[in-house]
Amino acid sequence: MFYLTRMLGRPVTDSAGQPIGTIKDLAIATGEVFPRVTSLALVGPDKTPFMLSWRKFVDAYDEAGAHLNTKALDLRFSYQQPDEVLLARDLLNKQIVDTQGMKVVRVNDLKLSESRNQLRLLGAEVGTRGILRGIWPPLEGAANAIGSVFGRPLKENLIAWNYMELLDRDLGNVKLSVSHRRLHELHPADIADVLEQLSPSQRALVFQHLDDDQVADTISEMEDEIQAQVVDDLTDERASDILEIMDPDDAADIIGDLPYDKAEALLRLMGVREARQVRKLLGYREKTAGGIMTPEITTVSEDMTAQEVIDQLRSRAAEAENIYYVYVVGARRILEGVVSLRDLVVSPPETTVTDITERDVFSVGPDDDQEQVAEMMSKYDLLAIPVIDEAGRILGIVTVDDALEVMEQESAEDLRLATGSAPRRALEATGVAAWLAQSMNWLAVWAVLGIAAALVVRIFSEHAAIFAVIALFVPLVVRVGEDVADHELGILIENETTMPGFWRRLLGNTLVGLALGVLSGLIALAVLEALAEPLALSLALAGALALTTAIVTAATAIYPALVRKRGGEGWRASSAVVTTLTSLAAVTLYLALSMLFARVAGA
Amino acid sequence: MIRERLKRLNPRWVALLSFLAVIGPGIIAASAGNDSGGISTYSVAGARYGYAMLWMMLAMTPSFVIVQEMAGRMGAVTGKGFAALIREKYGVRPTLLAMILLLASNAATTVAEFAGIAAALELFGVTKYVSVPVAAVVVWLLVVRGSYRNVEKVLLLLSAVFVSYIVATFMARPDWGTVARAMVTPQIVPTQAFIALAIGLTGTTIAPWMQFLVQSNIVEKGTTIKKWALAKWDVIIGAISANVVAIFIIITTGTVLFPRHIAVTSAKEAALALAPLAGHYATLLFALGLLSASVLSAAVLPLTASYAICEAFGWEAGVDRSWSEAPAFNALYTFVIFLAAAIILLPAVNLISVMLVSQVVNGMMLPFLLIFMIRIINDRRIMGDHVNGRVLNVVAWATIVVVISLTVLLLGMSFLGIG
Repeated sequence: MFYLTRMLGRPVTDSAGQPIGTIKDLAIATGEVFPRVTSLALVGPDKTPFMLSWRKFVDAYDEAGAHLNTKALDLRFSYQQPDEVLLARDLLNKQIVDTQGMKVVRVNDLKLSESRNQLRLLGAEVGTRGILRGIWPPLEGAANAIGSVFGRPLKENLIAWNYMELLDRDLGNVKLSVSHRRLHELHPADIADVLEQLSPSQRALVFQHLDDDQVADTISEMEDEIQAQVVDDLTDERASDILEIMDPDDAADIIGDLPYDKAEALLRLMGVREARQVRKLLGYREKTAGGIMTPEITTVSEDMTAQEVIDQLRSRAAEAENIYYVYVVGARRILEGVVSLRDLVVSPPETTVTDITERDVFSVGPDDDQEQVAEMMSKYDLLAIPVIDEAGRILGIVTVDDALEVMEQESAEDLRLATGSAPRRALEATGVAAWLAQSMNWLAVWAVLGIAAALVVRIFSEHAAIFAVIALFVPLVVRVGEDVADHELGILIENETTMPGFWRRLLGNTLVGLALGVLSGLIALAVLEALAEPLALSLALAGALALTTAIVTAATAIYPALVRKRGGEGWRASSAVVTTLTSLAAVTLYLALSMLFARVAGA
Repeated sequence: MIRERLKRLNPRWVALLSFLAVIGPGIIAASAGNDSGGISTYSVAGARYGYAMLWMMLAMTPSFVIVQEMAGRMGAVTGKGFAALIREKYGVRPTLLAMILLLASNAATTVAEFAGIAAALELFGVTKYVSVPVAAVVVWLLVVRGSYRNVEKVLLLLSAVFVSYIVATFMARPDWGTVARAMVTPQIVPTQAFIALAIGLTGTTIAPWMQFLVQSNIVEKGTTIKKWALAKWDVIIGAISANVVAIFIIITTGTVLFPRHIAVTSAKEAALALAPLAGHYATLLFALGLLSASVLSAAVLPLTASYAICEAFGWEAGVDRSWSEAPAFNALYTFVIFLAAAIILLPAVNLISVMLVSQVVNGMMLPFLLIFMIRIINDRRIMGDHVNGRVLNVVAWATIVVVISLTVLLLGMSFLGIG
């Protein structure tokens, strides 16, 4: 066994025993599963680099160095071949993709072994042992010994050459064995998993090696948050080609998340038909049947025969997302019924469609909530469900893959509602400027608030010390405002149709608000007691907090009315505004009430 | 006209604003290193030496801008973080050194953040034996539970009190002629304390962890070298404005506290010293500001270190990864947070000296990281045509030389017992 990190820097001597340099690198022949070492790269005195053929000149080697079979003067230097990979330069310390484990890892060492007089690469060491060996070889032994005592010796984590995909060196023009598993040969879902572990520029490199179909499939498999960023990083031409290939509903999702200018540019570059479909889909609200449906459907008329329908399917199979159901339409694309693929195939070819049409069709409207659509599909075991408008015209279908995605999303959201924590996401490191830009709107709001607070302090300057205590609960009030607004909007999103009337909701919200108020008041009281504030002040503040909570919670009952007056369409975009305004109102109310109560209580 | 109006303002109002000036810009610029340690260091510099240190801030600004620009450019060209580049160019051993330094400086700064939290809550009468453990658990949960973003908003809210900071400096009416002269007149007080404060000033302004943060931000955003021409102005303007704010803190404490010989050793004391001038609520408002800056940085610093170390050694990282998926990442930030909190709880620990020590540690490790940076950025194999120009190299090397000389000077002085 040999390890590259222990060979690098070792002396090389010629047949006369004269030192001629130190080992700098080893080159391997790439076309084998366990590639043999082909050349030795050295640095001579004066730091001159040169390469020698391993087979011709290397006589013996061990941990102490390499010994050549020729005198220094008779050596003939070679040059690096284009298909040779240098172990130290291209692999050691670099990130590679382990195409077996679907992971991105860093190479800590390379393990070599001698077999039949040839030195061969066994694999890349990506585990802790390699790091320890690289730091100081005895450390590895010591750690291993300690591990063994506890019955857990350090395992080697080796990746064989044919499962390595290099990220920094392009292997495109290098000969590889047939069994070498390249990243682009994996399933798109696996490629997507690996790409999510890479940085955007590394992703861009991988995309260069994928054809447009693969890129389209891969992007469709990625997490929603990354999709738009990935498309944004592609050139406009390539991005539009890829979006054309994707299912229109997936494409519309991504385009909808892009900045307006970019989205427009891409739509203009796309084919006329595809762009029109996407634009139509963009018109539907997110999270509705219209937002997730695909307009690519197979429709037939009632007078066709089974054979004609099958012929039509055959010619269009490449484009249609789902062919298990064929929709029968009459004049102006009014949905008449559905024919299953099974019925088509088992019926005699000359049967007319009318005879095998199922007229009792489950369908949904374009504005129906996506969760209801998904539930319906799961309940009735449907592979697709048609979306029809008020006039009964078919607009598109929602397919089972989109429904599954909805169920996944919604369960994540329900979880968030239940636990109160946002879905976890990698923390984006914040630079000064990016941070400022993101928070500019908040800054503006809080700047105004800050000035207002300063004015309040000035007006009540004799109560300044009290004000500081009052300020303790401002963050809590902000949260309460956000939460109750979110909650009300959440109910609205989920059960818009089944919501009780205004007065019933007002009553319900008031009761909930009172309970919440009592609870927050008690918490405030406990906190203030712990801080040893005077009892009168504590009671005043707890009362103000409780009343604020109750009033704000009760007041949210009016939100559905406010929102509906704005025309239903597009209100979700302003939910952030509604939340912020609620918080601001809550803070203002709380400040006013607490000042008032404090004065009344004589604190 | 405006001056006339200012004169007619209620003195209490002016006092409030000058107070706002002292508590500084808080977490808005905290991302630029103006965290609790930063606010303290700048306040102390102004209170103790008046305008004498202003020229250093001016001289440091080009260095700061250039260092941030280099970090950003490395990210844009390579698409890799700073830690990864060190690993790929230098191998395991130098990386280990760099990561130990980074971990040490981040841990020390995190200790300082907890000192900030303790100091802030002591102003509310909460003992550190309660506040620090609670804060540690809260910060840890912030990261684990991923609700970090929401909390960032609340912290930003608390920092809004600092917005009127620059206006306040004007209202404290410093003699601008003297300020301008101090800006361009290098002065050095040959004492150990002055040199230590100068290193601390450098360490908090050009904090080493910021380079890791800026570079990984550029990488995460997928900024390519084509977009860099525009994106670099973001980085440059951000760096300059952070320094401008720091300069204003020094001017304010230099104007208000220095002439009255009010000696302070921390931002907390600066606030308390201002209380008779600005009113008692000042102290409490100040505490809120210091608290929010400290909590935010206490969450960001351990994360930066964990990300960099995992990147360097190829371990899985990310706040959305569980303990079984990313054990090293989770263990690292947990360790840093709770170690820092534990140090603060030692009975003999002087919170103020902890803050200053952490800044000095930062200042001392800065040259090492800058040397890695300058050698990577001049490597054509890595950076292609985007290596440094001559001017950039001169300024960067000058920064390294100055910081090393200051460090050697400080060590020499303490050995010889001078100052």
